[in-house]
Amino acid sequence: MNTGNSRKRSAAATPSPQQQQKHHAVMEEEDLDEDVFLEETLLQYEEDSQVLRELEESNAIKERLQKWKRPSLSQAYIAQTQSISFQQLEIDYIIAESHKELLPNSSGQAAILRIFGVTKEGNSVCCHVHGFEPYFYISCPPGMGPDDISRFHQILEGRMREANRNSHAPKFVRRIEVVQKRSIMYYQQQASQSFLKIVVALPTMVTSCRGILDRGIQIDGLGMKSFLTYESNVLFALRFMIDCNIVGGNWIEVPAGKYKKAARNLSYCQLEFDCLYSDLISHSPEGEFSKMAPFRILSFDIECAGRKGHFPEPTQDPVIQVANLVTLQGQDQPLIRNVMTLKSCSPIVGVDIMSFDTEKEVLRAWRDLIREVDPDIIIGYNICNFDLPYLIRRAEVLGMAEFPVLGRIRNSRVRVKDATFSSRQHGTRESKEITIEGRVQFDLFQAVQRDYKLSSYSLNSVSAHFLNEQKEDVHHSIISDLQNGNAETRRRLAVYCLKDAYLPQRLLDKLMFIYNYVEMARVTGVPISFLLSRGQSIKVLSQLLRKAKQKNLVIPNAKQAGSEQGTFEGATVLEARAGFYEKPIATLDFASLYPSIMMAYNLCYCTLVTPEEVRKLNLPPECVNKTPSGETFVKSTLQKGILPEILEELLTARKRAKADLKEATDPRVKAVLDGRQLALKISANSVYGFTGATVGQLPCLEISSSVTSYGRQMIEHTKKLVEDKFTVLGGYEHNAEVIYGDTDSVMVQFGVPTVEEAMKLGREAADYISGTFIKPIKLEFEKIYYPYLLISKKRYAGLLWTNPDKHDKMDAKGIETVRRDNCLLVKNLVTECLYKILVDRDVPGAVQYVKNTISDLLLNRMDLSLLVITKGLTKTGDDYEVKTAHVELAERMRKRDAATAPSIGDRVPYVIIKAAKGAKAYEKSEDPIYVLENNIPIDPQYYLENQISKPLLRIFEPILKNASRELLHGDHTRSIAVPTPSNSGIMRFAKKQLTCIGCKTPLSGSDQTICKHCKGREAELYCRSVANVAELENLFGKLWTQCQECQGSLHQDVLCTSRDCPIFYRRKKAQKDMAEAKTQLDRWNF
Amino acid sequence: MEKNLLHRKQSLYQSLDANFGIQKEVYRGQQYSQIYFARLHLMRTLLYSLIPNWKPHLPVCTVLGLEEGKDCIIVGTLYKHMRLKPSILDEYSKERSVSPLVQRHNFTHLDDNLVLEDESGRVKLSGCLLPSTYVTGNIIALHGKETSAGEFLVEDVLEAGLPQQIERPIQLGEDKYVVFISGLSVGRSSSNPLQFQLLVDHITGHLGDEKEQNIAAQIVQVVIAGNSVEVPHGLLNGQNLGSKDQSRLFEPIKELDILLTQIAASIPLDIMPGSSDPANFSLPQQPLHRCLFPGSSAYNTFRSCTNPHCFELDNIRFLGTSGQNIDDLGKYSEANNNIDFMERTLRWRHLAPTAPNTLGQNLLPCYTWKFL
Repeated sequence: MNTGNSRKRSAAATPSPQQQQKHHAVMEEEDLDEDVFLEETLLQYEEDSQVLRELEESNAIKERLQKWKRPSLSQAYIAQTQSISFQQLEIDYIIAESHKELLPNSSGQAAILRIFGVTKEGNSVCCHVHGFEPYFYISCPPGMGPDDISRFHQILEGRMREANRNSHAPKFVRRIEVVQKRSIMYYQQQASQSFLKIVVALPTMVTSCRGILDRGIQIDGLGMKSFLTYESNVLFALRFMIDCNIVGGNWIEVPAGKYKKAARNLSYCQLEFDCLYSDLISHSPEGEFSKMAPFRILSFDIECAGRKGHFPEPTQDPVIQVANLVTLQGQDQPLIRNVMTLKSCSPIVGVDIMSFDTEKEVLRAWRDLIREVDPDIIIGYNICNFDLPYLIRRAEVLGMAEFPVLGRIRNSRVRVKDATFSSRQHGTRESKEITIEGRVQFDLFQAVQRDYKLSSYSLNSVSAHFLNEQKEDVHHSIISDLQNGNAETRRRLAVYCLKDAYLPQRLLDKLMFIYNYVEMARVTGVPISFLLSRGQSIKVLSQLLRKAKQKNLVIPNAKQAGSEQGTFEGATVLEARAGFYEKPIATLDFASLYPSIMMAYNLCYCTLVTPEEVRKLNLPPECVNKTPSGETFVKSTLQKGILPEILEELLTARKRAKADLKEATDPRVKAVLDGRQLALKISANSVYGFTGATVGQLPCLEISSSVTSYGRQMIEHTKKLVEDKFTVLGGYEHNAEVIYGDTDSVMVQFGVPTVEEAMKLGREAADYISGTFIKPIKLEFEKIYYPYLLISKKRYAGLLWTNPDKHDKMDAKGIETVRRDNCLLVKNLVTECLYKILVDRDVPGAVQYVKNTISDLLLNRMDLSLLVITKGLTKTGDDYEVKTAHVELAERMRKRDAATAPSIGDRVPYVIIKAAKGAKAYEKSEDPIYVLENNIPIDPQYYLENQISKPLLRIFEPILKNASRELLHGDHTRSIAVPTPSNSGIMRFAKKQLTCIGCKTPLSGSDQTICKHCKGREAELYCRSVANVAELENLFGKLWTQCQECQGSLHQDVLCTSRDCPIFYRRKKAQKDMAEAKTQLDRWNF
Repeated sequence: MEKNLLHRKQSLYQSLDANFGIQKEVYRGQQYSQIYFARLHLMRTLLYSLIPNWKPHLPVCTVLGLEEGKDCIIVGTLYKHMRLKPSILDEYSKERSVSPLVQRHNFTHLDDNLVLEDESGRVKLSGCLLPSTYVTGNIIALHGKETSAGEFLVEDVLEAGLPQQIERPIQLGEDKYVVFISGLSVGRSSSNPLQFQLLVDHITGHLGDEKEQNIAAQIVQVVIAGNSVEVPHGLLNGQNLGSKDQSRLFEPIKELDILLTQIAASIPLDIMPGSSDPANFSLPQQPLHRCLFPGSSAYNTFRSCTNPHCFELDNIRFLGTSGQNIDDLGKYSEANNNIDFMERTLRWRHLAPTAPNTLGQNLLPCYTWKFL
């Protein structure tokens, strides 16, 4: 923007700040627009200001970007002779003048829906849908005639005008119609009653109109009256989707002749047109239409040059590199690999490198790339909370008003606002909500956090977990050094940056996020963007609304009532008879228990009968079910519930998807089907939660408490039947015993010694008991645990068998293998013990292993990396109310060396060290590297008591008598070794003297190695010294070559400082130990 | 009874181990990259000097300078991606597999592929280069061109090849023998002290008739090439040992010393450390300490040597290792027999090409030792 800009500035004669901003808005538009649109845009937005133009400067870069354009439009599209079919990914709406040609009869502002999508040829589509109006219902007061309605209309219009004084809308309430509908709430005998459908001009008016009606409205003849509104909380875009039968991510077709090419393109899409909502054809995702369009996925990552000791801040620290990877959906290899760097960068094979002299150019090039490549989905790791806000804020700081036009709409800037997302399931999370029009953002960090429970969510550990790969981690203090080096060091950084952009794409593929999320959107009918930004309830609501529409039902907006309804009793857990079972344990599972209960007993909003109604209606007992929690529901003979119907459809669809999956051969089709059956399962299970969510959209605790009460009853019933039938008296060899029961499963010990017999009895029991339940409740026999270690409720481990020949795997629940705040030692110890106990059947071996480990710990022979505890630093010390170990340590490290100290957002690893008596726990934390370098003794007692003792005792108590005495206080705990720290105060006064390697006697001469008494053991002692060196050399070699391998280069030093990597500390320690051991070995060279 | 007195033949011995010795060097955080870097520079200079005789018409490029479709020569270090290569990270894998891991003897796999790296970057190789022959660490020159997929299509390969041969001294008439022994494994449960004693007696000429003794008299040098003792591994875990265990640890070494003393008393003896000996792990292994051999080290015929070991006898040069380099090649590449592997090390002009990637190598600056 250099030359062109300055020239224009002088001509524009110092415009006012406000104007200036407008200039920018147009400026950015020009650099990619074709001339055709220019004039009109200018007339529209910039009538009186000078035209500013960037000329030659961005042309070069544009040319390079050109080759990545989308495939050009086919002739049929240009001639408009072909119907347009596309897979939609995003639907939103804007307020604009209504379309004069399509809607000749209406005028003024209207909501216009925009559907963004991709055709199967890969052309981008922006479809403006006209004529769909926002509306909601209220129940019609009895005795209201047509005249009353028009009067009511006038009053409402008046009140609306009062409430929206600033609005210039010619009309607020467009019309009021009488419709025959029925409320979904409670069983009603009459088929329908009158409702008023209130159609308003703009979507925002729904809320304001609802407010007026909620509060009450004075109507002549009827007095002050407040109304309960129906379906007034449905988002406009969702309303549109429901009414047009559009589900998230499906294919939409607009027939030729029904669409009009826009006179003036508002977007950057290749196909932009207007049409009426009634002309849309929505295809259900079957057959040809279950496929995915080749949409473009951009994965990117930025690097910033932070200052020493600070986390990068957009106000000060420049963006130095942006790596971009564009992949076409369904392809294995990326289409584009690109890095944009500030300052020169040596080439990388197979990667397109663009280097720039100024940061502004980097940012502008990135914006141009977005516009040319036109991605449909933008992914990355933590892009929503870091990369995107950083780029936008940085552009603001640099005064690049033209930067944040990243969406598909011309002139429209990306909007950033703070958002909190809270749900029962995921807790409350703060995040930034960034709206990039027409492009879906998919932050892998959020998605993984949502769908998987992991001990750490750093990109490194997530990719280690799913891709089995360690990622090189370059500390941000080194990034600046690399940037300030030469083209080679920047290339190094670029390689690293590219990898960070590549990993999210690999995760996306590996975890099949695209398939699973698109299928989830199709099953539940919500737009894809809702799946990440909203909770479970919107998905159920969407299905409920769709079903209700079919059934001519309306859903009340009963949010307020929810909070007072209180809580209800949860699921039952049969008491666990803790112990170590060495006979096969059969597990009987209820298949989708809660959904099947709702189906079996016809539990729904519309089948619930209130207590008064029960008395009033006097329903015959054979037509109703009274639930164990005391509620009454009618049976399906009188009224079929719509929740059961939804569930039935979901489960049937799942069965079908599973059957299709078996037959499918194409891996892509398989992926779609697998995603679908998973989505169907999740959806079916979330219906119950929806009715129980007290702050949800439509809570109905009568339903949820009935479901759980039935569930409890069933578990108890199963237990009773099993223990009654399978007895010696009943002709079986042993008495069966139920040892534990969870929400939907029961564990039975039939007493038989082999897996095969237990399986036979398990099947028999499942069939027998299933016969006593109402369909579709079904008890299934799935697996055998043998042996089985039951610790307490929700905590158990066992070997899982599904066929009698070979066990499938070791299964552990609720046992410390994944807890985040434990050190690795706990996990290793627990896993190893379980393995020894369950697989090897070697309890003494497990005990010995524990003893050896504890002894190693006390003798200071433990690998330090196993002892590291890691916590994220989210706030500074002053903000925490209680002092915590990791925050205190961060403070201390800052005092030591501000450059390498962890800053906010970093994870702080620490170990607990021996400190003065009475020191607080938080004072005993120390940096593992510092500990290694200075020989600081760790506190084995802390690890023994606070980390490993509890999990160990839990495992061993059912097996061993006196487990605590045996394991934690035996002989093996008597001998300890504590190293002398090399930096403590006392050491300054100490005089160093060599000691005999054999017996530690101080030696007088400095050239001696051993004392005269040990002379005879010379060879033995030497063997030990040299064996130590040999072992360390071996370890060192393995560790460092692994790091070289990760780094992907043989000729460059390893820089990685990833503290999440399990071998980081080991590598450091091996390095130091080897140096020490060699020094000791050198003493022998006399 | 007077017999013909047999005189053991003599020869002139000169040790060339100086290259492999490490003297008082302190480790200061060096990394392996320096080894590769130095190796690449030395070998590249060599390869560059060969290229004019190989394909003089082709330009020589760096990995970065590759242009699509253009024939050229690149020189760099090979890196072999191996699916089965054991990694220390496996220790941390989430799920312990139910079936115990089978210890493999060979880690090659059909999916292995090669990458060529120089200081400027890496490029994936395709074409006529057989991944099973090469290992990570080979430095070679390749003729080929970059394909549209960003790979380098190899058409021809140039290895460093055999060096200029040392002129062989012409000797007439006199036969002399050098005895190489390895894998004595004194202390292993299966080792039989009688057999060893028999060997010693044979070498020292205490066995057989005159004819046999005649042969024994022609032996001028004995070289023990590694794995002489086997110390019970469990005893060396850093814990203090009881006196019984101390003797168990020391016993095999003492036994070895007794036998070596017998040899050293009559003939020059070189002993090299091997993988099971009480020596350091990384190559070059340093000589076994004299304190281990209080008896034999009293003789000046006894020499404790490095591994690899290099010496000249009557101007004939010997160079050898205790075999770790060849064993490791056997794990990470394929050949018909060990002789092939040994031949390859000569052609590559690198004694231990897999070091330091899969074979331990000392980081201390002694790069030059590996180049023949």
